[in-house]
Amino acid sequence: MLYDLSRADAPVKWSVTCLLLTFALAYGFGGWMVALYAGFGPKQVAATYARSEMSMPMPPESTVVVEHPMTLSQFAESAPHPVDTALLVQDTHVHVPMYGVIAACLSVVVLGLRMSRRAALGTISLLFAAPWLDFLGMWLTKFLAPGFAWLTIVGGWAMAAGLVIVTGMALWQMWLRKERAVS
Amino acid sequence: MTTMFRAAAVAAAAVLLHITPTVVLVERPDAVAQLLPGADRYFAREVHLADADAHKLHEAVDWSPTDGVLTFYSGRRGNALIGVLEFVRVDTPHGPVEVTVAFDTRGAIRGVIVTKATVETKPWVLEALRAGLVGHYRGLTVADIPAASTALRGSVGELPLYMAQQVDKGVARALAAYGTFYK
Repeated sequence: MLYDLSRADAPVKWSVTCLLLTFALAYGFGGWMVALYAGFGPKQVAATYARSEMSMPMPPESTVVVEHPMTLSQFAESAPHPVDTALLVQDTHVHVPMYGVIAACLSVVVLGLRMSRRAALGTISLLFAAPWLDFLGMWLTKFLAPGFAWLTIVGGWAMAAGLVIVTGMALWQMWLRKERAVS
Repeated sequence: MTTMFRAAAVAAAAVLLHITPTVVLVERPDAVAQLLPGADRYFAREVHLADADAHKLHEAVDWSPTDGVLTFYSGRRGNALIGVLEFVRVDTPHGPVEVTVAFDTRGAIRGVIVTKATVETKPWVLEALRAGLVGHYRGLTVADIPAASTALRGSVGELPLYMAQQVDKGVARALAAYGTFYK
């Protein structure tokens, strides 16, 4: 094996460790922010990304005006952080490229781990598929049905799972596993 | 390789933390109470724009409201109109800013409150507000072009000035929407 993290020099192991711990820190805060602004349940995610109830499927042929009474307390928004199409475009533009870079970095770590070819392919696929699922779920929730919020939840957890798998295996193989002496 | 890993880690953390969660500067009910003082009844008027009207608005102020719906909120005391207000969102590369613009019964701007910013833009918005940004909008009518940011030039930094320009944009949108679609 040309590239084996378990046999790498200590500075390489240390930099990989720092990378993974930095990702873990960022993901931890990412999870905290999701809890603050979207939530982890399908209802909260759908409320964040689905189109508002007052939107019409198609623009009317002539402008329509509807007026209804409301109370002062109703000015307080029910959804803490609704994401409309324009904001979702911005979020996708900002996040997807960086998720790709993160997946690529983690894939480089995977390449240095001792695992079967199939396991490596599966892990790398998971790393790249997870953000795709995450954002696909957001877009489908907005334009097809609120039920696709599940896809976003699955994608988010898959990202976390990918990081945990790679970090756990890397730390184990680099620092904890004892090398067998070769006679 | 060490440098590459560290650079990737820093970039990843920066972008993950670059997500710009909304910060409420003034709760909407509080803004309504300040901008429509004395009102005891409130009404929401939703204007679902036809394509032609949406295009007209877009041409005028380079803006399309969320889901093609403009919402005007009026406040009344008994049957007497106190005023009308709009919540206008301006998307910036640093996240959205929400500007609340209230009109008096003559159709002039009674007051402007920046109700939302982001973690990143909040200090810049606050600096612009401390420099007296919103006072410059009072009394403007649909015939005016808001340019309060020019009055701040030289007294605030570049980024607060940039945010002031975004608030100008929000007020311009509110004026255009009110002048064209609030009858």
